[in-house]
Amino acid sequence: MSTASTPTTPVTIDTDRPTVPLTRLVGVELRKSLDTRAGRWFSISILALCAIVMLILAFLVVPGNQDFSFFLSAMGGTLGYFLPIIAIMLVTSEWSQRTALVTFSLEPRRSRVVTAKLAAGLILSVGVLLLSMVLAAIGAGLASGVRGVDVSWSVDGRELFTFFVTNIIVVLIGFAFAMLLMNTPAAIVAYFVYSLVLPIVVGIVGVLIEWFGDLAPWIEFNTAQTPLFTGDGSPTGEQWAQIVTSGTIWLVLPLTLGIIRLLRAEVK
Amino acid sequence: MIQVEHLTKTYAGFTAVDDVSFTCRPGTVTGFLGPNGAGKSTTMRIMAGLTIASSGKATVSGVSYRDIPNPGTQVGVLLDASAQHAGRTGREVLTLGQKTMGLPASRVDEMLELVSLTDKESRRRVRNYSLGMRQRLGIAHALLGDPKILILDEPANGLDPAGIHWMRSLLREYANRGGTVLLSSHLLHEIQIIADEIIVIGNGRIVAQGTKEELLRGDGTFVRAGDNAALATALQNAGVAATASGEGLGVEASPEKVGQVAAAAGVALVELRQADGAGLEEMFLQLTAPTQRDQTTRGVPA
Repeated sequence: MSTASTPTTPVTIDTDRPTVPLTRLVGVELRKSLDTRAGRWFSISILALCAIVMLILAFLVVPGNQDFSFFLSAMGGTLGYFLPIIAIMLVTSEWSQRTALVTFSLEPRRSRVVTAKLAAGLILSVGVLLLSMVLAAIGAGLASGVRGVDVSWSVDGRELFTFFVTNIIVVLIGFAFAMLLMNTPAAIVAYFVYSLVLPIVVGIVGVLIEWFGDLAPWIEFNTAQTPLFTGDGSPTGEQWAQIVTSGTIWLVLPLTLGIIRLLRAEVK
Repeated sequence: MIQVEHLTKTYAGFTAVDDVSFTCRPGTVTGFLGPNGAGKSTTMRIMAGLTIASSGKATVSGVSYRDIPNPGTQVGVLLDASAQHAGRTGREVLTLGQKTMGLPASRVDEMLELVSLTDKESRRRVRNYSLGMRQRLGIAHALLGDPKILILDEPANGLDPAGIHWMRSLLREYANRGGTVLLSSHLLHEIQIIADEIIVIGNGRIVAQGTKEELLRGDGTFVRAGDNAALATALQNAGVAATASGEGLGVEASPEKVGQVAAAAGVALVELRQADGAGLEEMFLQLTAPTQRDQTTRGVPA
């Protein structure tokens, strides 16, 4: 055999091959979020926490508060703190563990990776929300079956809307912060500042300074959303304007800037 | 075929890669040699579309990396063996690649076998891998999609001598099948073992390139005689400059000429050969000198 090994046919790159389909990328991203102990146990832990909340509500809270819809809002409220962290880790672990080098060399069209991650984050979140609905049903069942509390199973469309939409919004905000900051602790802290600290600070300052109190619903997304989920669930024109304005500040803007940063960032 | 044309990358006034041009041909293993921080990794990241060049371009068979559909199946890339999620098993790392590229699952086991990672090792988390095992995993990942071109950044780093020779035969075989390989190293001796073509880079610029033979061939002759002094005199009389070199003499003439002089003078030789390639090594040391930290500190007069 000849050792002079220059091949007779030149090596060419085939640009007509099929690209990596988005469904495959989504599948891989879903797998990535569950294939490490940290990722798997985080999802299991937040469901375990929901189960604890469910048991407390079923057996320790005064009777009369065990309707299915109560359980549902308790599950939704609990998950609101933790679901965004799943979305955050989906993005930031690529940078902290430097796997972005591999991810983006296997799919250099980064917008597709972002889309796949967003889809995976939403699928995972909806999955956890559905499992927590099962927990809510178990809770109501235990309260009526074991404790003998009179339980209402009825749930209206707006309760379900609140349950899903509030959580999807915070997942998107977590996702946006993660892309913008590309750092797990920073993104988690930013999310908790947004969801826990900001409403309190804005509330206090709003009480002390009158004009700021008027401004608050325009810049504080948590408060601005309230009319969507309370009362008759149909915000007034001004309230819609507040939702759009504050939503632009906390969701649209970070998401846009985050995507731009991720698409342009040098991967090291 | 990898083509790099007038590639330049600047960061806020600092030029990491400065007008770099070279070509890697099919059937050859090209070594990209340079001290740490010379611009090797930046050049390779630009090739894989992860860093955007300030000017110039890098293409793979005329195509920009970002335009290659499912690029893992055509270009195998290993940019940092340590850039893997510490909590994933080696097998899982390969499975993610296999699923992304849409390859049969059997490919994972084939690659594990190719790089000699045992089934048991493949089920351990990357956190518990030695650097050598991470390199093997990285090579397996780069080869997963059966690409025609390989771009490997410091793949021999952390390998023991046996591992370096293993990598040489692996890449040699790959190149013999018509593959194109570019690998980088900051160690001359690794490149000497593995590569056929060498590109030397320092401070972002290419300072030498050519085949290993061309670059490693020294000037002149090394000769050792039973009586070195007598040989030195004979050479001097013949008008050839000779200087002491180790246990023999370094002569600025061809081995043939030195042999003739020795024969004419009746001096018995112990050793006669082409001088070692001190040129490349010296050039490499000069490149590394400014970044060396273990220089002897000279006394400063009070």
